[in-house]
Amino acid sequence: MLLWIILAALTAAVAAVMLVTLARNARTVRPGRAGEVAVYRDQLAELERDREQGLISGEEAEHAKAEIARRLLAAAGEADKDLSTSPRSGMSFTAIVVTLLVPAMGLSVYLSLGRPDLPDQPLAARLENPGNNMALLVAKAERHLAQNPNDGSGWDLLAPIYFRAMRLEDAEMAYRNAIRLLGTSAQRLTGLGETLIARSDGIVTEDARLAFEESLRLQPNDPRARFYLALALEQAGKRAEARAAFEALAKDSPPDAPWMELLQQHIAANGGTRVEPSLTQVPRGPAAGDVAAAEGMSDIDRQAMIRGMVEGLASRLQEEPDDLDGWLQLIRSYSVLGDKEKAIEALRTGLQAFPASGNEGRQLVGLAREVGLVVDGVTQ
Amino acid sequence: MINEIGHYALVLALATSLIVSIVPLIGARRKDAAMMALAPMGSIVMFLLVLLSFAALTWAYVVSDFSLRNVFGNSHSMKPMIYKISGVWGNHEGSMMLWLLILVLFSAMVAFFGRNLPDTLRANVLAVQGWITSAFTLFILLTSNPFLRLNPAPAEGQDLNPILQDPGLAVHPPLLYLGYVGFSVCFSFAVAALIEGRIDAAWARWVRPWTLAAWTFLTAGIAMGSYWAYYELGWGGWWFWDPVENASFMPWLAGTALLHSALVMEKREALKIWTVLLAIMTFSLSLLGTFLVRSGVLTSVHAFATDPTRGIFILALLMLFIGGAFALFAWRAPMLKSGGLFAPISREGSLVLNNLILTVATATVLIGTLYPLVLETLTGEKISVGAPFFNMTFGLLMIPLLIAVPFGPMLAWKRGDALGALQRLYGAAGLALMAGLVLYYIENGGPVMAVFGIIIAFWGMFGALTDLWHRANFGKLPFNVAWRRLVGLPRSAFGTALAHFGLGVTVLGVVMVTTYETETVLEMKQGMAADAGGYSLIFDGIRQANGPNYTEEQGHFTITKGGVVVADTWSSKRLYTARQMPTTEAGIVTFGFSQLYVSLGDPTTSGGMVVRIWWKPFILCIWGGCLIMMIAGFVSLSDRRLRVGAPTRRARPAKLAMEPAE
Amino acid sequence: MTRKQKRLTIIAGGMSFIIAAVLLVMFAFSQSVAYFFMPSDLATTEVSPGTRIRLGGLVAEGSVKRGEGSTVTFSVTDGSGTVPVSYTGILPDLFREGQGVVTEGAFDAMSHSFVADTVLAKHDENYMPKEVADRLKEDGVWQHGEEATTQ
Repeated sequence: MLLWIILAALTAAVAAVMLVTLARNARTVRPGRAGEVAVYRDQLAELERDREQGLISGEEAEHAKAEIARRLLAAAGEADKDLSTSPRSGMSFTAIVVTLLVPAMGLSVYLSLGRPDLPDQPLAARLENPGNNMALLVAKAERHLAQNPNDGSGWDLLAPIYFRAMRLEDAEMAYRNAIRLLGTSAQRLTGLGETLIARSDGIVTEDARLAFEESLRLQPNDPRARFYLALALEQAGKRAEARAAFEALAKDSPPDAPWMELLQQHIAANGGTRVEPSLTQVPRGPAAGDVAAAEGMSDIDRQAMIRGMVEGLASRLQEEPDDLDGWLQLIRSYSVLGDKEKAIEALRTGLQAFPASGNEGRQLVGLAREVGLVVDGVTQ
Repeated sequence: MINEIGHYALVLALATSLIVSIVPLIGARRKDAAMMALAPMGSIVMFLLVLLSFAALTWAYVVSDFSLRNVFGNSHSMKPMIYKISGVWGNHEGSMMLWLLILVLFSAMVAFFGRNLPDTLRANVLAVQGWITSAFTLFILLTSNPFLRLNPAPAEGQDLNPILQDPGLAVHPPLLYLGYVGFSVCFSFAVAALIEGRIDAAWARWVRPWTLAAWTFLTAGIAMGSYWAYYELGWGGWWFWDPVENASFMPWLAGTALLHSALVMEKREALKIWTVLLAIMTFSLSLLGTFLVRSGVLTSVHAFATDPTRGIFILALLMLFIGGAFALFAWRAPMLKSGGLFAPISREGSLVLNNLILTVATATVLIGTLYPLVLETLTGEKISVGAPFFNMTFGLLMIPLLIAVPFGPMLAWKRGDALGALQRLYGAAGLALMAGLVLYYIENGGPVMAVFGIIIAFWGMFGALTDLWHRANFGKLPFNVAWRRLVGLPRSAFGTALAHFGLGVTVLGVVMVTTYETETVLEMKQGMAADAGGYSLIFDGIRQANGPNYTEEQGHFTITKGGVVVADTWSSKRLYTARQMPTTEAGIVTFGFSQLYVSLGDPTTSGGMVVRIWWKPFILCIWGGCLIMMIAGFVSLSDRRLRVGAPTRRARPAKLAMEPAE
Repeated sequence: MTRKQKRLTIIAGGMSFIIAAVLLVMFAFSQSVAYFFMPSDLATTEVSPGTRIRLGGLVAEGSVKRGEGSTVTFSVTDGSGTVPVSYTGILPDLFREGQGVVTEGAFDAMSHSFVADTVLAKHDENYMPKEVADRLKEDGVWQHGEEATTQ
């Protein structure tokens, strides 16, 4: 409401200033060429000064003076003539134009372009009160850490969030900072290891392997670390050792553990047979860490699986671009994976098959808007 | 709410500009004082509205309000405050807002300082300014609106191009636009004169300060842009004949011509039609420059704005204004009375020569810039017109101009004495010859063209000093009398001499750098030394460093002369992490007017670094000369003559005007 | 001199100056204009060694080799043709494999490789020189642009 009052006041002020100007000048008459006369007088004076100083010769000055005087006479003469023309008042007509045009045009153009419903959102104020907005919470934490880069618990908190948002580079930095400041813990080391694996597209690098080994030293039997170490063996081509490690992990796990199925696949892939977990050796309590670990592991796996599927879908769509559902799925998948560039690329290629003007095209754009790819369609 | 107020203010500015475009024009025809009075008041209202709008946008940048798409795309909450603010015009939408703000600022200034202009002329001038304002406001609102919102707002912005995070570039666009847009006033004066069908010496005097101001700012803007490219891009070049540079150079050339032809018109009422045409051309070239840079038809360092719809809109505006103005010119120009006569050898004659050469030079630059574009549009064939073309044509054309410059101020109006002028210039010629040969000797020879170029440069400098010498009559009068005369000279005389002197200084820098510059590219390992310009550079090695938003490899060089350490410098390659964008930060060491310029390349397989070392003799003269020209502009502007009609001098009562002339 | 003669002198002087300038421009064009080629054009068009041209395309992946000192060799490709290029000097900041580049220089008569004296990697936000982008779009090799975000 306040906004509308201010806008109305602004409009009224502009219209009023113009109307007052019209009214005040309605009967004032100014001789048209006083200014010109002033200029020529000044030129004469200047000429006089130049001659006194000897900057120009007397003859030259005479010529110039005659010229200027001619112009001066002409201007002064016309000044008289101008005076005699009596002005007419255009007050009424112009006044109507001003009073109508300013508000009508202002309002109509603004209503079609503006967003009076949206309040200002300065970042500082939004950070004060971030609500449930994850991006804002992260931004807030980032600002805090930029000022207090030695706040280990801040990094510790932020690292898994980065990881989940697939901001892997930031996640690695955050984990490393947390470890540097707070020391190692199984939680941080496995987190770092997973980040490193994700950054190298699923390969357990040497750095990652060392992190898991260290983590296992701190917290023996951590299934997550054990799984990745076994995976490292598998990737190194040590199939027998890998199988043994997977089998050992399977034996130590509760039968309904969510990672059981995955383990069995790896065992089978390395030439083993199904292993039944021993019911007697359930690991220590349902620790929160383990639950999180399980989620983390299946996260990675799910990511890998989705990636595989998505790549398949993408290459299929290259061959048969006439599949609207396929494009919708591809865009959504990429944006879920946090790969904005690829999502935009998919949107673009999709729009080549289905132009944005068509119904299908509009669906694509609508989805893109929904997932935050097209940021500038807001007012359209 | 502030955002929306800013947006609304811009819309209101459009409405006001439409009123200012139409009503005063009718008023001027009907001699209706009330309607004409809307022009100055409306212009001031327009300025206040655009200022409000611009302030709102700036505020959004300051508080990082990412609910504005423009702020989201071009800012970042962690950026230093100065770059948050300069970020306002570091992008397309914001720079158009700045363009508009400067345009209405000029309108408001004409309204404010133009109280002694005839009412009809002022109303017409401001109405034409109003057309330009409406067109650009509409352009901004429809195609480049910085006030479009995002909902929900992102939490963080997308940063500014790191290459643009530089104090030089923060002030470069405002200066350049003050120049570009300043010429709009000359354009409006010309169109207004055509509308009225009347033009005289007083008109020229009223236009002159605006031309001078625009020219001065444009000089500053171009020089600053050139210096920025020199130290920031790491290529060691100071002028590339890049289309974007040409876009700002063409209005400068035409504006320089206008400055001189307006002088003839003011003094002798000659060259009327030509001056009007030149005023139209100058601003047309400014518009063309805006079009070239903003439409994305070119791609270069400045190409951070590309969108075809905008291009078409600007092209339409361009055709409307340039085509309209020329049509009006063709229709009305024959009605203008021609003015005074003069002999070929006279002050007027020399200024005509100046205009001829400058216009032809502008035309060659224009052809070189547009020919590839036209050819590509017509035939699809792609060619590049590069520095060799411009050096050959433009460079050659400048020679007669530079030779003629010192003669101009020596010649009398109407009919001059060439022989007398030459006699007065003997001294300058002798000194220039001597200075040229001395420098030639110091630099151990070089091409004959070099000594010729150096002599021309000194000829310009000494010629300018000779002008002052003779005006003050040194040599004939006792020294203290002459000194008093010198001090008493009108400021405009100093302005002329200084500007011509500055031109000579710039030419000296250009000639010296082009002929005596050395460039060495070599692979250097730690401890190796290389020679350039009589100095020896020792490469001390590389270290890693981290900046706030970049990482860099810094190479350290120690510079010795004759075995004595005289300086040291860091040269680095930066990588801005957010955009993975590399930049080169050259190491520059200044010795007098000359510089050593070191930039780092890539590491080689054998463990060294590729290093590029330039010796740039007298390079600072290039920008030093521009600085002198700029100061000359301000000195001329402060001349009391140009203040006639300004409010500082009390407006004369109307009845005075009717007294007969003495 | 009479009025008419004065005027004639000025006009004649001006005209001859303009004619001289036009001739100069034409001469300069014939001397210094470089045509733009893509590698596939060179298969169909003969460019004699020593003629200055601009060669544009993408820097082929894996082709950049740093040789002796500051000489670098790389290949410029447009999908259908590839031309080896050698260059001595510092490559621009934005030179990278798989990205667009424009080189200026001439073919060497002996080695038939392209010897560049200028390498430009001027670009828009997508790291693509305009000439190269236009052509690659025509040929369908390159499909990445800014349109997606501004729909």
